[in-house]
Amino acid sequence: MATEHIVTSYEDELKYIVRRISEMGGQAERMVEQAVAALMRSDWAMAQSVVADDLLLDAAQREIDERAIKTIARRQPMAIDLREIVGAIRISNDLERIGDLAKNIAKRVIAVHEHSQPMQLVRGIEHLSDLALEQLKEVLDAYATRDHRRALAVREGDDGIDAMYTSIFRELLTYMMEDPRNITACTHLLFSAKNIERIGDHATNIAETIYYIKTGQQMESERPKDDRTSSLAQTDMTMPSAPGGTGA
Amino acid sequence: MATYSGRKTKNTVMMTLCAVAAAFGLMWLALILFDLIYEGISGVNWAVFSEMTPPPGDEGGLLNPIVGSLIMTAIAVAVGTPIGILAGTYMAEYGRHDKMTNVIRFINDILLSAPSIIVGLFIYELMVRTMGHFSAIAGAMALAIIVLPVIVRTTEDMLLLVPDALREAGTAVGAPRWIVIRSVAYKAASAGMITGVLLAIARISGETAPLLFTALNNQFWSTDLNAPMASLPVTIFQFALSPYDSWQSLAWAGALIITVAVLTLSIVARVVTAQKEDR
Amino acid sequence: MNFQSVSEPVARQDATGRPAPRISGQPKIELKDVSFFYGKSQAIKDIRMTLPERAVTAFIGPSGCGKSTLLRMFNRIYEIYPNQRAEGEILLDGENILQKSQDLNLLRARVGMVFQKPTPFPMSIYENIAFGIRLYEKLGRTEMDERVEKALRRAALWEEVKDKLSTSGLGLSGGQQQRLCIARTVAVRPEVILLDEPCSALDPISTAKIEELIDELKEEYTIAIVTHNMQQAARVSDLTAFMYLGELIEFDETNKIFTSPNNPKTEEYITGRFG
Repeated sequence: MATEHIVTSYEDELKYIVRRISEMGGQAERMVEQAVAALMRSDWAMAQSVVADDLLLDAAQREIDERAIKTIARRQPMAIDLREIVGAIRISNDLERIGDLAKNIAKRVIAVHEHSQPMQLVRGIEHLSDLALEQLKEVLDAYATRDHRRALAVREGDDGIDAMYTSIFRELLTYMMEDPRNITACTHLLFSAKNIERIGDHATNIAETIYYIKTGQQMESERPKDDRTSSLAQTDMTMPSAPGGTGA
Repeated sequence: MATYSGRKTKNTVMMTLCAVAAAFGLMWLALILFDLIYEGISGVNWAVFSEMTPPPGDEGGLLNPIVGSLIMTAIAVAVGTPIGILAGTYMAEYGRHDKMTNVIRFINDILLSAPSIIVGLFIYELMVRTMGHFSAIAGAMALAIIVLPVIVRTTEDMLLLVPDALREAGTAVGAPRWIVIRSVAYKAASAGMITGVLLAIARISGETAPLLFTALNNQFWSTDLNAPMASLPVTIFQFALSPYDSWQSLAWAGALIITVAVLTLSIVARVVTAQKEDR
Repeated sequence: MNFQSVSEPVARQDATGRPAPRISGQPKIELKDVSFFYGKSQAIKDIRMTLPERAVTAFIGPSGCGKSTLLRMFNRIYEIYPNQRAEGEILLDGENILQKSQDLNLLRARVGMVFQKPTPFPMSIYENIAFGIRLYEKLGRTEMDERVEKALRRAALWEEVKDKLSTSGLGLSGGQQQRLCIARTVAVRPEVILLDEPCSALDPISTAKIEELIDELKEEYTIAIVTHNMQQAARVSDLTAFMYLGELIEFDETNKIFTSPNNPKTEEYITGRFG
């Protein structure tokens, strides 16, 4: 922002909230990275640390919420300030959810590493997580620079994740049908993939929030959400209910 | 920076000086009042209010000067008040930003502080000389001229004290200017304006100089406006200078009566103001 | 400019060429290149805008931006002071009220005004209301009583004063006095009500009552309010105009102004970054 508030303490409050969001973003990013790495390498200890880190992220989210509410109550923010604060609440919520998803992946590490893993599938998930992490990085950068065009690009990029997830879904299904012994491991991997795909969705949410903070406008009509496996389930596969779609 | 005790000492010294000065001024007032009551109270009796002024050396009262003073004061106020209020209204309401108003205010202030004997002389030239004889009406006119600037001043001041917001409010409901002045501004300023009139009465009831050359005096009962008329101040002036005890005693009584009357008026003025403001 | 009514919102341009707010409803007051001068200094600069009927339009801006001055043009109350001059056209229902032939008293009966400080007349509560009515209507005792009661009810004051109508209006609390002033304004049956910082001298509860009243009144009247309190503008108005240094910087729907104004100057002002 070009100019500062007349009331310095107000300026400080807003800056603090924005800084905490950035910190949360960094932490969430790290958790996702570590969770996926733990999954790849079946690193039980790293998975444990991700689970522990989630508590911190939750605390940070609660703190931002509280600060934001106090600021609203005391300062009655208007226009850009109001959007900043509402945005902070929304973004911290998304980041907290990302943390939850990372934790969920980390928890599966424990279950998965007892089974043998189909390497090419794990590769797929690693690739998927690279995409999601890239999205997350981009969106956090967009937030730091208040660049709504970059945020817009992030939203477009989510399609790639969705496509990738859909293909992993297909592969896992095939794999499970080939050998029922794979089902446990594959289900965990499927959920992990789903979690990563959801992380992408949250990155998209954050992008939309950034766009709103910057322009004051809500992004137009919600883009078609998450994966296409729900329709896939009904047409291609004759399964009673798809694991994706509404789950996770 | 002075020390605290230093400042306290200075404060005490200053306060003492002020108190002494106030006490000194008040002392003379109290002495005058005390002397007046001491000398006058013995002379005040029923005869003072019921009998005419006596010939030298005789007993009598002050009925004709009391009535004369009342008549001339009444006429002076009746003439001076409306003119004064209208002039004050012009200055405060219509002509507030005119140069003319400043000129009027300047002249009015001179008139306000002009020695009253000059007013007497002026009327003497204007009325007594042209009419060929002293008269009550000339005396009343002289008093009216003294009343006028007091009322102009208080009216203007009181109207200026009425907040513009009130005038705007009156105007904003669609009231024409003169209704705003009459129904809003006058109402808001009424206490002060009434006080002004009362103070003007108090002022003229003690005036001797303007009456000496105009209404002169009259030993006898007269309500003829075209003839000389007795008045309290002039009678006091005349009797006090005389060598006769009975006249001197009446002069004291008259002085006491005027003082009490003026005091009463002042108190009434205060009460009126206080009541109006209380609402 | 031509105006369609009601159903189709009319898009217009304000002075700066940005799209003006989409106003549904008939225009009540239209300003065409309005300027105002105190002696030689210009307080209002070429303002064009349209205040729609039966809506609350708020004027905000830092002190001295001309918002009160602008409001005072709508009923030409400035005329009671010398050396003040207006230029341009202000159309009230299509008629230019700035023309010389305008009957000022009639204009002020049509365009009522409530001021910053409560200004009850120094007379009884009843007379405060009856004063304005008497100027234009000869009413019998009972009719007058009815009108006074109606006005007081309209201003949500009746219940509080019905037993003391003959006591002085000055004896009421600040908030009650201000509602008395609103009642007095409403009693004359105006079409437009101008509120010049009506709550700046009131406590929050009295303010809330006045704001509630404004909400009710806008069903019948076109309301223009000047306020220093941005939250108040945000609460009570449908449209908000931001003024700065005598110019209209932005005029738009209140929702838009307070969430995402177009002009950076507006944004800086309402977020407390200058002013």
